[in-house]
Amino acid sequence: MSTHRVLVAVLSAVLALAAARPGGAVDHNNIDAGRPLDFDDAEAIAYREKALEFGGALVKPHGGKPGVQGAVEFLYGFAPNTHLSFDFDPRYSSEGNEKRRFDTGDVGVGLFHNFNREHGNIPALSLRADAYLPTGRNSRGIDLRVRGIASRQLRGNNRLHLNLDLALNNQARRGERKVQPGVLLGYSHPLGYPTRFDRTMLAQIGYRANEERGQSGIATLGLGLRQQVSVRSVFDLGLKSDLIGGRRRDAFQLVAGYSTQF
Amino acid sequence: MPGNSSAPAQVRLAHEGEVHPHGANDGKAASQRDASSDSASSDESHTMPDRASARRPRMVAVTNANPDTPKPLPTLPAKLPAWMSNTRKNHIFHKRGPYNYDVYNVRPLALDLNAVAVGHAFAYEDMVTGKAATLETKTFERIQRVLKNPPKFMPDEANISPTFGRKYGVLEQVFDWTHILHAQTVDVLTSTQLTHAEKEREIEALWKFYFESVPYAISPLPMNMEWLDSQPYSMAFRTKYPKVNGLFWGYHWLQGTMYDGLYGLTAEQQKRSYEVIGKRYHTTELYRTNRAFMPMFAEVSPRFAARFPHIANAFDNLHMLHDMVNDILATPWMSERQKDEQIKRAMWIVSAEAHRNEKPGDNSGAMHDHRFMEGMPGMGMMRGSATELMWMQGMGWMSLSECHHCTMPLPKGDNAWRSSAISADGWTMRVRCALCARDMSAETKGAAVLRIPLESPDKMLVVIADEAGNLSTDTPDVLFIEEEGSHAKCHEWSRAFSSRAAFEKWVRDNPKYADAKLLTFAQWSHKEGDEPDTYAKPAGPTESDPYAPVASDATVASDATANEENR
Repeated sequence: MSTHRVLVAVLSAVLALAAARPGGAVDHNNIDAGRPLDFDDAEAIAYREKALEFGGALVKPHGGKPGVQGAVEFLYGFAPNTHLSFDFDPRYSSEGNEKRRFDTGDVGVGLFHNFNREHGNIPALSLRADAYLPTGRNSRGIDLRVRGIASRQLRGNNRLHLNLDLALNNQARRGERKVQPGVLLGYSHPLGYPTRFDRTMLAQIGYRANEERGQSGIATLGLGLRQQVSVRSVFDLGLKSDLIGGRRRDAFQLVAGYSTQF
Repeated sequence: MPGNSSAPAQVRLAHEGEVHPHGANDGKAASQRDASSDSASSDESHTMPDRASARRPRMVAVTNANPDTPKPLPTLPAKLPAWMSNTRKNHIFHKRGPYNYDVYNVRPLALDLNAVAVGHAFAYEDMVTGKAATLETKTFERIQRVLKNPPKFMPDEANISPTFGRKYGVLEQVFDWTHILHAQTVDVLTSTQLTHAEKEREIEALWKFYFESVPYAISPLPMNMEWLDSQPYSMAFRTKYPKVNGLFWGYHWLQGTMYDGLYGLTAEQQKRSYEVIGKRYHTTELYRTNRAFMPMFAEVSPRFAARFPHIANAFDNLHMLHDMVNDILATPWMSERQKDEQIKRAMWIVSAEAHRNEKPGDNSGAMHDHRFMEGMPGMGMMRGSATELMWMQGMGWMSLSECHHCTMPLPKGDNAWRSSAISADGWTMRVRCALCARDMSAETKGAAVLRIPLESPDKMLVVIADEAGNLSTDTPDVLFIEEEGSHAKCHEWSRAFSSRAAFEKWVRDNPKYADAKLLTFAQWSHKEGDEPDTYAKPAGPTESDPYAPVASDATVASDATANEENR
């Protein structure tokens, strides 16, 4: 499948989802990881709220064949300031220059808890913990990730979101790291004030340890946009690139997604 | 519009903004005019499109003569509930229902409500970020731009006013939660899937959801508005920022008026009604700086307020909380800490928790005065009012339990739906019969919406009067009887029916009208009744306008009442 065809297929799927009338109330200013960049803001979804988030990405690994990756996530605010999430990321990609194959990917189960809203000079603080079940190809053991999140208003409507990650690879293979720390700094800014109120620009810069020992850490940059497309849904678009990071880095990822609440 | 029937212009007795039920030559009307003429002053500061040349009623806005003069502040109650100091987000999802976002069935209303959210947020953010000095200029202009180009989707106010949210997060929770009730009740009313009975049940279910889901619900009790507006800081905002305050009260006007413009109406009737209401909102109500007080819910949606008084009261109390917060933020002599405390106190005063176990009608004084206007449980005591009468700007003393045209008692309780109502010139009045609605419309300048009940609560006739007094309806097959006699029985001899069959069914229980002449809409709309023989102008507790500024009107609550909430 050519890169062009993959891109067309991903965008078509996303647009088809966007055309269907969704059933919830997503806000373009609420930011969840993957939609479209990697960082979270410190807000849990509302108590009793349910949300579905879909995404697709065209991924071009450094020195490898382009592939496509999907993302589906369900979130449920089962308690005040707390939500559960279930996600899986199927993909059609290759390892190195091997033939591309379909992989269901690991299934993730997460818990997100917000400790406080932003008040005075104290940022909003949250903790997110995810467990990844080994349902993907060649996957083994349950991997874990803990993420601490702080969101803080800067001057005006600008917001910074600091994400500190600690990923645990429970059954690391030879040459793989068992523990991978990472840091992401996200930025969000609503575009169009004071004339429009339906669009938010996002940016991120991050650094995380490489999965492989001996490889340099991966530095990433990203730019994205979240656009409210109905009272209940948001379309997102992002471009990410790993600047350094040896073999495991991606030259670029073009991400598009759609979120809806109900 | 297809299906419309219209009638030639009626003789319209333009009383230049004052409503005189029975014409200028009438002695009673003259006395009413005398009584209400001292409430007047033209609003020169804004252009009123369409009616710019019309003489405005002379009214005087009540202001705090000395908003910059420090006054003693009431203390915070000693023991406040924990929720008032919470630092959590506590965002709760709205009640699920097939009606959510159905406000877009009346799209111009949906867009106007989206713009309302932006305006509040702009002003709050500017006030807490040191931009209060340009509130009447730059902020006003930015709000204006949004009002004229409303967002397609309801924005999250917290995103527009992040600094305000950081400082007053609990207040934001209180506002947001009641705004959700506002939004969802409107969604229910605009639903095309629910029946009238289902809408009534769902509105009660929404109230229960609102009231029981969080500790920070607003009180459903009628509260003494005079007392709430007599705090040491009261009126500071309207005095210093009359244009922006006018916008806010215009929002409150819309947020109240829309309910009777939707309640019990078909989707088509709602759209037609909103053409009149929306135009009035954009051309006049947003730019009024001469209101004596914020528009009360029951003044603009008396039918809904009478049916759901707890909701009407909660909305009035919410709007009063908005005013109190505005006043606190606009008071220059209060420190930041004092502002924090007084905002907290204001939240406590209007909270449901502060009035637990109290009932409508109770009067333990000051903040625990829950008397309501006779005939209108959805409105607390107003400045200078007795329970029988309240002062309505431009009209004088009015009884809310009587027809505003013939002063006969309005139907109550289960029969309350049998009242007609007329929205014109910014107010909405209940009247007793179709004739009273039509003739009152004819006596009032400008466009009007007449809502006349048919034979059951779920059937309403909507008649639109244009600026020239031409009447039209989307139900041209409607039939009327008008066997004019004493207004003591006008609710019998002046009625509207959706069909001949409905009339014949009614006649079986009222045989004396078996020979009544049935009138078509066109015939009925040409008629003009005699002056009601029952009309009696109410005499108020005082001769003058209680809102007129007086030298001692420094609006300081006495120590006794100011600290009463401590008990």
